[in-house]
Amino acid sequence: MIKQWGKALSVLAIISLVTAGRAEAKSGIVIDGSTTVGPLAKSFAAYFDKKYKVPVTVSESGSGNGAKSLINKSCDIASMSRSMKPQELTAAKSNGVNPVSSIVALDGLAIVVHPSNPVRSLTKAQLADIYTAKITNWSKVGGPNAQIVVIQRESNSGTQESFKELVVGKETPVTRSAETQASNGAVKNRVSLTRGAIGFIGLGFTDSSVKKVAVNNVMPSSATVKNGSYPLSRPLFFVTNGQPTGLIKQFVDFPKTSDGKLIIKELGFVGKY
Amino acid sequence: MNLGTRKLLDRAFTALGLGSIAVMAMMLLVVLVPIVSKGFSAIVFKSTVEHRKMVFNEFHRGNRSALEKEIAASDAARRNVYDMLSRFESELMLMNEDKQQEYTEKYDQVKSALRGLLGPLPGDSEPALTRLTYGQNRWEKAEEKLQELLYEKKWDYSNPDVVAKEYFVSRSAGFEGTSLARLFPYVEKNIDRMLLPEWTFYWGFITDSSVDSHIFGGIWPEIQGTLFLAIGAMLFAFPLGVIAAIYFTEYAREGFFNSLLRSANSTLAGVPSIVFGLFGLAFFINTLKVSESKSVLAGSLTLAIMILPTIIRAAEEAILAVPKTYREASLGLGSTKWNTIVTVILPAALPGILTGGVISLGRAAGETAPIIFTAAVSVGSAIGLADVFTSPTPALSWNIYNLASEHEAAAEIRHVQYGMVLSLISIVLLLNLSAVILRARISKKLKG
Repeated sequence: MIKQWGKALSVLAIISLVTAGRAEAKSGIVIDGSTTVGPLAKSFAAYFDKKYKVPVTVSESGSGNGAKSLINKSCDIASMSRSMKPQELTAAKSNGVNPVSSIVALDGLAIVVHPSNPVRSLTKAQLADIYTAKITNWSKVGGPNAQIVVIQRESNSGTQESFKELVVGKETPVTRSAETQASNGAVKNRVSLTRGAIGFIGLGFTDSSVKKVAVNNVMPSSATVKNGSYPLSRPLFFVTNGQPTGLIKQFVDFPKTSDGKLIIKELGFVGKY
Repeated sequence: MNLGTRKLLDRAFTALGLGSIAVMAMMLLVVLVPIVSKGFSAIVFKSTVEHRKMVFNEFHRGNRSALEKEIAASDAARRNVYDMLSRFESELMLMNEDKQQEYTEKYDQVKSALRGLLGPLPGDSEPALTRLTYGQNRWEKAEEKLQELLYEKKWDYSNPDVVAKEYFVSRSAGFEGTSLARLFPYVEKNIDRMLLPEWTFYWGFITDSSVDSHIFGGIWPEIQGTLFLAIGAMLFAFPLGVIAAIYFTEYAREGFFNSLLRSANSTLAGVPSIVFGLFGLAFFINTLKVSESKSVLAGSLTLAIMILPTIIRAAEEAILAVPKTYREASLGLGSTKWNTIVTVILPAALPGILTGGVISLGRAAGETAPIIFTAAVSVGSAIGLADVFTSPTPALSWNIYNLASEHEAAAEIRHVQYGMVLSLISIVLLLNLSAVILRARISKKLKG
């Protein structure tokens, strides 16, 4: 009887030894957050990996999860497509985390429809009406007689928050018939396959499979986002715990360097600096 | 029932059985053939000279002098294109303003289509992203890009009341009367001389890291991450599972507590995997803090909890299947209970226990939900064995999902996704195969 307990205990001891062996310096940078900032973060990561041999890992789980990771101190940088919410700031304070945001790039929220849709331009009010189901047919906004398939993002998404803030109003709920997709890519894919669909994605994600629609007669483009004439633009952030130092500072400041600016431009985002 | 009806029913049942086997085989074919054929297209494909340039520059493989010869040959064919571009540019300068504007937009589209095909044009500044440094790596993609260069896809919006239809316009018609019109037939005719396609076996797809978030390169970090996670899960779950099974079969007395434990175990086996994922995040990372952030360790522990019930069940069945006479003989010879378990029962039950273990290993390798929050990242380099306690890792199952839905260039790199699917299936198949072999060898040894 004693012998078998000894064996069981030794197995447990091995497990705890293995678990305890983790106390070791962490060298890389861990990034978690927005799918919109994803392409930027991944390309920056590849650049740092290649140039400085610094391992950088990037997760794209949504701005909300990025903020949560930062508050739980499980990431070094939270990439976010919206600013921190007041309740997130309080949660951070109570956890001893001091979130410091710096702007990575600017991004336009492009309104996209299926390429077969003849509608060229919508006003912000029309968009709000579409997303609150006051307008449900394309013929009301100068299109064909077809039902509008409204596509939104999940509640965890910073893109969704920005869209609500800029178009529908923070407190107004989006129509219940809206379909939810979990990433920019998924929205683009859904819109490119559905004739009556409308959705919103980061400008960097647009390509020829979907058609961009002008908002208040301004087409989203690098130029109109940069000069502020496109009404649905927003900054993208890297949020760190306290003022960044060392490598993390270098990473956060990368958008200010010439290589950083070039990467931002090549990915279809709009440089802030 | 008379004999005739019986025979008829018998035949009908045989037919039904054979029919369902045939349907299953068909389904298997329908599923496996595209997986295998498309998956292999990631490794065996017609590569262009751009691919060989990429492999040479990024991974330092290939024959330098042969490559230089190839580049020289393709550059000779490309020079005409670049000459035509510069000739058109000087022509453009001489046009009046209206015409200039009309042509500039179209010309920019032609240039970006050419960049997609051949890589940066002369006079372009050096791109920072690796994906823009090379032209098309794959011949079948190059043919698609060629169509984009030759024909512009347009939508007929003339009638706003109906859904528009797409139509294709030849770009060369748009440049009728200018020197650029000659470019299109030239590119169409000489595209293979410019890109030099040849069949390639790109084994680097398995052994290389990805370059520029999976646009080029291979999937080694994902394969390694998957193996680490699965093996790590086994290291935790297998000993615990076998010990629990021994307790259940040999020591536990039938009673309320025991049946409670058993039903808890069965319930655990039926819990959806995403619940384990969230539990892993809350328990291992936030509460126990086994690592500062996502790590292979946290992911392995989460997967271990997920596969534990299956291992316990399999081990229990295997131990119960050992004939009672073995035990009685051992005890009758004066052996202790523990000695009997270790020297008689466990070896006899080992094939069954191992089968259960390896099936769970396959499941651990394929699960996505438990590692989303605990271990998986979309981009990261291959990690060393020393990093498993602190570093997260890319893993096949999660990255397949990521490439399918979140990647900004998902449509361009479907082949990578297919290759990942094939690798994952191969890993699981190999694990299962090794289990079969191991089991056969052990059984043979026990009999002999």
